[in-house]
Amino acid sequence: MIRKLYLIYGLGVLGFLGYAQYAGWSLSQVSQMKVVPKSIRDNPGSYRSVYGYYHHYTGGK
Amino acid sequence: MVETGPRKEVPTVNIRSVSCPNCGASVMIRSFGQAVNVVCGSCHAILDALDPNVQILQKFSAAMKFQPLSPLGSRGKLRGTLYEAVGFQRRQIDVDGEKYSWGEYVLFNPYKGFRYLTEYDGHWNDVAPLRTLPNTTIVTGPVTYLGQTYKHFQTAQASTIFVIGEFPWQVRVGEKVTVSDYVAPPRVLSSETASDKEVTWSLGEYLNGSDLWKAFSLPGHPPAPVGVYENQPSPLSGTAKAIWKTFWLLLLGAVVLYFANAGISKNKTVFTRAYVFDTNDPVGEHSFVTDTFEFTGTRAAPVKIESYANVDNDWIYLNYALVNEDTGQTYDFGREVSYYYDSEGSEGSRRDSAIIPSVPPGHYFLRIEPESDRKPGRISYTVTVTHDYPVGYWFWIAVALLFAPALLTTWRSMSFEHLRWQESDHAR
Repeated sequence: MIRKLYLIYGLGVLGFLGYAQYAGWSLSQVSQMKVVPKSIRDNPGSYRSVYGYYHHYTGGK
Repeated sequence: MVETGPRKEVPTVNIRSVSCPNCGASVMIRSFGQAVNVVCGSCHAILDALDPNVQILQKFSAAMKFQPLSPLGSRGKLRGTLYEAVGFQRRQIDVDGEKYSWGEYVLFNPYKGFRYLTEYDGHWNDVAPLRTLPNTTIVTGPVTYLGQTYKHFQTAQASTIFVIGEFPWQVRVGEKVTVSDYVAPPRVLSSETASDKEVTWSLGEYLNGSDLWKAFSLPGHPPAPVGVYENQPSPLSGTAKAIWKTFWLLLLGAVVLYFANAGISKNKTVFTRAYVFDTNDPVGEHSFVTDTFEFTGTRAAPVKIESYANVDNDWIYLNYALVNEDTGQTYDFGREVSYYYDSEGSEGSRRDSAIIPSVPPGHYFLRIEPESDRKPGRISYTVTVTHDYPVGYWFWIAVALLFAPALLTTWRSMSFEHLRWQESDHAR
């Protein structure tokens, strides 16, 4: 019984692995925006990243 | 039709009632002709069942009376044969000053003879004497019987502390025997060495209390088993092995999927360029866009953006926006590249990579905006874009997800065995 359950679980894991690889899933933190004005190419400064103005930690070495 | 073959001899069942010569109470002998001793249920005097005058062999006052869980006279089917409980004794061993006692029931069938049930802390065993001797050389070594090896579990001196009913041997309260148990769950081989060096071997098989209660139609529920018994079959017996077999098969499947994905992935570098960021540049705006590059194909695929910066005890933060020139869809993210070191070691890395999931094919460019402290001066960095990059860590996540239940099952199985052997002479 446990073996059967494990087999079903394992096949689920393989399905997840196959789909995650094929669909190109990633754990990186990326924000998606649907429409960005094309003027960004001519005026890159007009766009502000949601990750901009980074506060670097300086407490360590 | 006339039966001409030899007539099958059927043993007669002799039940006899005698008066106890000690107290006068009526004593029923159910296995008359086969019982050697019978104990008066009233005064607990041990009587000679073979003597027509039923002589008293031992008188003892039962200071502590034990009530058999399965009452004498109760009947039930074991392995298809109807047995009647005719005798009960309580035995005790002393291990490091701690006393452990268990009950032994004598079962009788006029055709099959005697059989025994033992009970300790809710764990039951169906026991039958051996007709052939097992193969053994040393007391604490393994014993082989009918091709099965039994490991030595415990050797102790057991003494009888209470008896009632009928027994096919000379039973006495205070009688001492050396008991050795050898286990191969769900079986246990036991040897009993009497003071006259006579050795009796028996084979027991673990029984569920509920099965016994059902077989003997006993009222209520059997006492719940406490702890793990010496020959109690592990609920995970064989499961861990089967799970590991399944694990290796699934792992093979994961490896195949990994290589299949690596095989269909283009893993193509579509853009690479070196840049310099001058932190002291008075120009306020440092953002810029790259040339256009193309992601070909028909399916959405992961894109790796790799950043390499020549930083020494410093950092650079790169705000990235991967923009689809055709649709305006943008993937916005930021990455820090920092590398610090001194005589004691280092921290961070000059190289960083981010993977953007499921990017559809099309024409793209990057908007890059570097940030850093003002003091470092010029920081050179390189940006590389790889399309349809095979993401390897899903394989390792899958392996961990497959490995965890297999490991847990093995751990549970080992814990069960650890609890079993903790009670033995070979506690680990």
